[in-house]
Amino acid sequence: MITFEGVTKRYRDGTTAVDDLSLEVPTGAVTVFVGPSGCGKTTSLRMINRMIDPTSGRILLDGQDVHGIDPPTLRRGIGYVIQQAGLFPHRKIVDNVATVPYLLGWNKKKARARAMELLELVGLDPAFAGRYPFQLSGGQQQRVGVARALAADPPVLLMDEPFSAVDPVVRASLQDELLRLQSELRKTIVFVTHDIDEAIKLGDTVAVLRTGGHLAQLAGPATLLTEPADDFVRGFLGRDRGIRRLSFISAKEIRLSPPPGDLVLDEDGRPLGWRSDGGPAPYGTFDPETDSLRAALDATLLSANGTAVAVDGDGRVRGVATREALDELFAEHAGGLRGGGLPGRDGDSPAVDGTPGDGAAGDGATGDGTAGDGAAGGGVAGQARAEA
Amino acid sequence: MNGEPLVRWDWIARNWANGGPSAISTLLTGHIVMAFLPVLLGLLVALPLGLACVRWRRLYQPTAALMNVTYSLPSLVLFSIFLSVTGLTQATVIIPLTFFALAVLIPAVVDGLDSVPDHVRQSAVAMGFRPARRLLRVELPVAVPVVLAGLRVATVSSISLVSVGALIGQGGLGNLFIDGWQRQFYTPIVVGIALIVLLAVAADGLLVLAQRLLTPWFRARRSA
Amino acid sequence: MNWLIDFFGDSANWSGPDGIPTRLLEHLEFSAAAFLIAAVIAVPLGMLIGHTGRGALLVVVSANAARALPTLGLLVLVVLLIGVGTVLPVLIPLVVLAIPPILVNTYEGVRGVDPDLRDAAYGMGLRGRQVLFQTLTPVALPLILVGLRLAAIQVVSTATVAAFVGLGGFGRFIIDGLATKSYSSVIGGAVLVAALALTVQFAFTLLDRVAVSPGVRLRQGREAEAAR
Repeated sequence: MITFEGVTKRYRDGTTAVDDLSLEVPTGAVTVFVGPSGCGKTTSLRMINRMIDPTSGRILLDGQDVHGIDPPTLRRGIGYVIQQAGLFPHRKIVDNVATVPYLLGWNKKKARARAMELLELVGLDPAFAGRYPFQLSGGQQQRVGVARALAADPPVLLMDEPFSAVDPVVRASLQDELLRLQSELRKTIVFVTHDIDEAIKLGDTVAVLRTGGHLAQLAGPATLLTEPADDFVRGFLGRDRGIRRLSFISAKEIRLSPPPGDLVLDEDGRPLGWRSDGGPAPYGTFDPETDSLRAALDATLLSANGTAVAVDGDGRVRGVATREALDELFAEHAGGLRGGGLPGRDGDSPAVDGTPGDGAAGDGATGDGTAGDGAAGGGVAGQARAEA
Repeated sequence: MNGEPLVRWDWIARNWANGGPSAISTLLTGHIVMAFLPVLLGLLVALPLGLACVRWRRLYQPTAALMNVTYSLPSLVLFSIFLSVTGLTQATVIIPLTFFALAVLIPAVVDGLDSVPDHVRQSAVAMGFRPARRLLRVELPVAVPVVLAGLRVATVSSISLVSVGALIGQGGLGNLFIDGWQRQFYTPIVVGIALIVLLAVAADGLLVLAQRLLTPWFRARRSA
Repeated sequence: MNWLIDFFGDSANWSGPDGIPTRLLEHLEFSAAAFLIAAVIAVPLGMLIGHTGRGALLVVVSANAARALPTLGLLVLVVLLIGVGTVLPVLIPLVVLAIPPILVNTYEGVRGVDPDLRDAAYGMGLRGRQVLFQTLTPVALPLILVGLRLAAIQVVSTATVAAFVGLGGFGRFIIDGLATKSYSSVIGGAVLVAALALTVQFAFTLLDRVAVSPGVRLRQGREAEAAR
């Protein structure tokens, strides 16, 4: 667990990058620092591994003040991933990944073997091991960066806008990779981004920071969407919060009806369309096991008659969901997240979540947002992650 | 001019290694020593000085200005000045040439270290490298291409400038020019020029080879 | 120190065909002539190669050759071949050695202009020559001036050595001093040449400040700072 206690960073020219920040980063979960430029998110991150030291306040790593730890020693136990990857151009990929093990004194064979394991873990062809960074694409370099950060198996991973420099398609796949890795490894991750959608997608807990370094709200993504603490957070979240919130509700909860006669099927039980005069009419599908309520809503909009088709993993029809069935769920979840939804994925439970009012005070109020349940429900959260 | 051929091959053969101080081979070895020693010394001094200039930026401005001034002075001028200190010896050529080498190599070391991308340096710090190891294992290796480029310039210039020392009797192969001039005889002059250029090409080539071997990861950026 | 006093204190050195003023003029005349010829050849050539991109090999070869060719050897050879007494034999090596710095730097200057700038200029409808003169050259000016400065210093330096093959100028004091073992003459000459070289250096620094648009110079400074 990482604790910020009244951390402030003020520069000689008077600018305040971080203002009295106090929060807890729970162990084994992803905490995202998000906000506009100048909100101090990167500065706060870099104070954890002492790349920057605070002007006042302190940061505790599992109860120990980081200020008391020799920086290089501290850093060898923390993984660090940055935007341009920062790979050493003069070393082969395998040696790049093995950097911290080498620093820790591992013998070359063991370090390289570990590096190869990690390359596989991040989804890179072992053939890349003998190449140089300049021979890899941006996305590939980023994967190497992540592998390198994980090499010495540090419990903490700091990531500073790691996916911002790659194109959206690559970014989405890297984000999915990270979620997959995290479900296996359960590291304590602090992730910085300026992209609120990335924050909502990746974070178990999200800390929204305001320009000037104040904490505006600390909450799970679902709570953030339904109960933004103030106008700033509301504005920063952007539009369609209600619809985006639906991504956090599993489609499993939808009451399915048996497929009606006018749904045309093929021999395998896969849908061909709705019966109509001009031939099979368009239909929309969703998989209740893996999809979210948002996908189901989308499916109803794609269907000619407003009824979504529920299919299994092989595309075979399991039933249908009418708008009425969806409406039932909407009513149940309207306005908030009391009862229902994915345990842990919101990073909060009714009892623990700091009330929006406290978070709104612009003086860096302490958000509680401990994802205690989030950590416990890890396995479920990892699997049941609904797609946005 | 008076029917003299440009090159008299028999003269070359006779004077290649006749055991005297003006044998071509002797002049060649002397030339090599007077050209490479300054570069070597220059490198040994430029490395710590360059590092200091990077570490304490305020040093660099005056240092660079001094280097600039030094480099703009004709070699003959410096040879003349050092004459009073070291007389008509090889040292009078070697010392000024060392300054010329420094004038190229200190900026090369500084530029080389500056060429290390910031995200690479930050990564190294964040992974827990201590400053000394970081310098040795990360920053200097990445700086090598730029430093080597400077080394090439310094080496080739040095090889050429040694010949001016002939005016004070210490010009290595340059002495052949004086000889040719005094006797109105082309051959030594042509031989001198040819050997100097060959030496420069060979040295440059070796350095390029060294760069390929030392930095297989480096891809030179071509101007647009 | 005594040598300097001896040399500059001797009034004989200040008048007549061997006097400092005469020598200064000789040195300047030759240097200026060689410099101008070299500039007239190399600047347009460098711009052409830089703008069209063809003939870049010439630039590379000349850059390397210039550094390797021994000044004294070249002077001696050309003078022997063509004959003493005329201006030409000395001028040729002077010009030949001055061309490469101008050529290389002009080429680099034009070539190094941000491709986006070139793109925008063509996009606005400027023709080739207009693009060259209205956008590329002003932006490339700092490097062109660097090349000119290097060439000027090169010329002053070569002219000094040229005293050996009969040219006048400040080099005469050094060469004659070496021959007659008159050390005050050697040192005096050296100081004079040094002063001349530094004056030329300074003049070009001023020229840079005057001729280069602040928009270009300050941006380069900032980029250099940012690169730190």
